[in-house]
Amino acid sequence: MAFNVTLEIANSTAKITLSGELDASSAPAFKTEVEKAAAEHVKRLVLLMQDLEYMASAGLRVLIFAKQKMGADADIYVIGAQEMVLETLEKTGFSQSVIVQEEYDTALENA
Amino acid sequence: MEPLTVSGTTLESLGAIAQYVMAAAVAAGLSKKSSYKLRLAVDEIATNIINYGYNEAGLEGVINLHAEVDPKALTISLEDTAIPYDPTKRELPEAEDFSDIPLADRPVGGWGVYLAFEGVDEFLYERVDNRNRNIFVIHRNLNESN
Repeated sequence: MAFNVTLEIANSTAKITLSGELDASSAPAFKTEVEKAAAEHVKRLVLLMQDLEYMASAGLRVLIFAKQKMGADADIYVIGAQEMVLETLEKTGFSQSVIVQEEYDTALENA
Repeated sequence: MEPLTVSGTTLESLGAIAQYVMAAAVAAGLSKKSSYKLRLAVDEIATNIINYGYNEAGLEGVINLHAEVDPKALTISLEDTAIPYDPTKRELPEAEDFSDIPLADRPVGGWGVYLAFEGVDEFLYERVDNRNRNIFVIHRNLNESN
């Protein structure tokens, strides 16, 4: 299934919706959206992964890149990751460096 | 299964490689989880062959894939004529070593090979006639527990 990525910025929050298969060939498209979000100096990066069916290590590299670009104070949320994507995040310890949640609570944006 | 040959110089080949591996996984009756991990393993190694073995070295060539199903195992082999590279000799990051290190300071490399080894029952590398051969083995009889 083709990879698709969309970005939406509001309330100092960038939401990136990922769907399909994220491998090394599709990761640059994800990276481009992260760059756009970082340029807006958002406080939060929310990655909506409910429909992301596959993620290779190229996706992990974009997470590192995101943190480098956005700064230590910016929080990265991983929302609704599917079982195997979550397993990759856990196995590599990346799940400890991002905020993993089933569903995104928009109340955070008003805090 | 019939072998598959794809370009070794474009990441566009990853789609065809994934389809081939998933078809082999179906033929071998692997679980969804085992299939995913096998696909991930092959995808990571193929990505390295394309990015570093061929492109960064300025070489042209192909990747040959071959899947074989027997009663005991599904074996997938990848062969290329890129620079000699043995993934089993690579120093790998350990997830535990980085749990206290901020995300921005983590090593960007090595996770792919780490996931490749983790995803299969056996990973073998052979250097044969100026070719790299990466072999992935999934045991079918142990598959139920995965």
